[in-house]
Amino acid sequence: MKILRHALRMCGLVLAVSLLFPRRVYGYIDPGTGSYIFQIVIAAFVAVSFAVKVYWNKIKKFVAGLFSKKNDAH
Amino acid sequence: MTPTEGQVAGSFRDPSGFLFWREGRLYRQVNEAYRIHYDRLVSSGLAAELQADGLLVGHEECAPGLAQAPGAYKVLRPELVPFISYPYEWSFSQLKDAARLTLAVQKRALARGMSLKDASAYNVQFVHGRPLLIDTLSFEACPEGRPWVAYRQFCQHFLAPLALMARRDVRLGRLGQLHLDGVPLDLAAELLPGRTRFAFSLLTHIHLHARSQKRYQDRPVAARQRPLSRFALLALIDSLEGAVRKLDWRPRGTEWADYYGQTNYSGEALDLKERMVADMLRELRPRNVWDVGANTGRFSRVASRAGIPTVALDIDPAAVEKNYRQCRRDSERFLLPLVGDVTNPSPGIGWENGERLSLLQRGPADALLALALVHHLAIGNNLPLGKVAESLARACRSLVIEFVPKADSQVRRLLATREDIFPDYHAQGFEAAFQDHFAIERRESIAGTDRILYAMHSRRS
Repeated sequence: MKILRHALRMCGLVLAVSLLFPRRVYGYIDPGTGSYIFQIVIAAFVAVSFAVKVYWNKIKKFVAGLFSKKNDAH
Repeated sequence: MTPTEGQVAGSFRDPSGFLFWREGRLYRQVNEAYRIHYDRLVSSGLAAELQADGLLVGHEECAPGLAQAPGAYKVLRPELVPFISYPYEWSFSQLKDAARLTLAVQKRALARGMSLKDASAYNVQFVHGRPLLIDTLSFEACPEGRPWVAYRQFCQHFLAPLALMARRDVRLGRLGQLHLDGVPLDLAAELLPGRTRFAFSLLTHIHLHARSQKRYQDRPVAARQRPLSRFALLALIDSLEGAVRKLDWRPRGTEWADYYGQTNYSGEALDLKERMVADMLRELRPRNVWDVGANTGRFSRVASRAGIPTVALDIDPAAVEKNYRQCRRDSERFLLPLVGDVTNPSPGIGWENGERLSLLQRGPADALLALALVHHLAIGNNLPLGKVAESLARACRSLVIEFVPKADSQVRRLLATREDIFPDYHAQGFEAAFQDHFAIERRESIAGTDRILYAMHSRRS
């Protein structure tokens, strides 16, 4: 299961890399074309799990809030 | 450190400004080119927030007339860092804490519409036992949609060496000394064990990242806007934070980490030696101390606990890691453990060998502790005592040094497998060699051992 998930993530990444192009950036250090393109891919990719994490934390907070209110009532 | 007037040698890459010394004071010139970013840093409240929380070096604005070069917008006077250290001198946890600081600062910057434009490990220094960002000009106003320009640099300066130290060999932390802009990712990918490809964070930020760099190395690519949402950018930082958090390294009995358990010192003799060192330091009253061959810092703490800024240098990354963990646990403010080899001290590196200073350029120390060290130099490294004395006289103003005679079991161990080619290695020979370079002030035998403790003043100072 873990290997399957890993393989799926990798395929997704390779697909995403092949679809992207860079853009011009300004700054005194060179972000590096390969790094720049890769960052956009990987950020879009990890954003999915980050969203899950953020919402999961919100749900946990909400549930914890419900219980603490109940306790207050008692 | 004796500052030279004018621009600081390692401060020239960023057109936003530079550091310079004037009449013994350190200033930072902020150039007109950086005006909008500096104003944003201040008006957004980011600078005040980071400084209040001890994440960014404090500064005060000075009269613009102090500027060193044309094109100045502001002149700042930053708080001084007591001792400049470099990432290749840090233990694993020091580099890890510096990485976490960088990401924490980047998150706060993003929350206020700014971003770190570089993520150089050299922008972090340890002050009062904690990592601190020392480059006030590292921030830029960041329009929504702009990716993190310092992503590559963060991976090279922090993630790659941390991964190599944790997953291959902790001594690879020294690779940074060869590669000024961090460990190249293709090299890191090559050196890391194959199993690191099965750790998602290392697979992505190092292995695939390196492949992407290689793929676009010589490829001219069309410029096209491809924005990255703020949320995706935060996800990237979160992913890097996870990658750093998951890397861990704990010292297990390497060369010296169990040293105090192995010496021929009894508990009482160690306590006595500690009191003698404390006495000598009280007399010398140094403004700072370097403890060379400090191990886990037992004797460094004699100085640092008296409020003297102390650098504890040791060759063994495990001992330094243990020392740093203790500093962190006890919130010690005056002790800075560093990895270093006294027989091969950090050289000056970078442009004209001047961007990063050699260890000796960062001296001389006001006082230097060399305890249980001289036999390693003279017998373990074939260094003539005269050379040892000459070098130490350059490195410090006062010296507290322990002579370990041949009768001592530690020296017998060093001589067990080799010919004794050191006829002058005895207390008289030691004193004769040192008297050329030092005035010997005190000489005391350490009861319960064959060793002698000396306090001396360098004749050069």
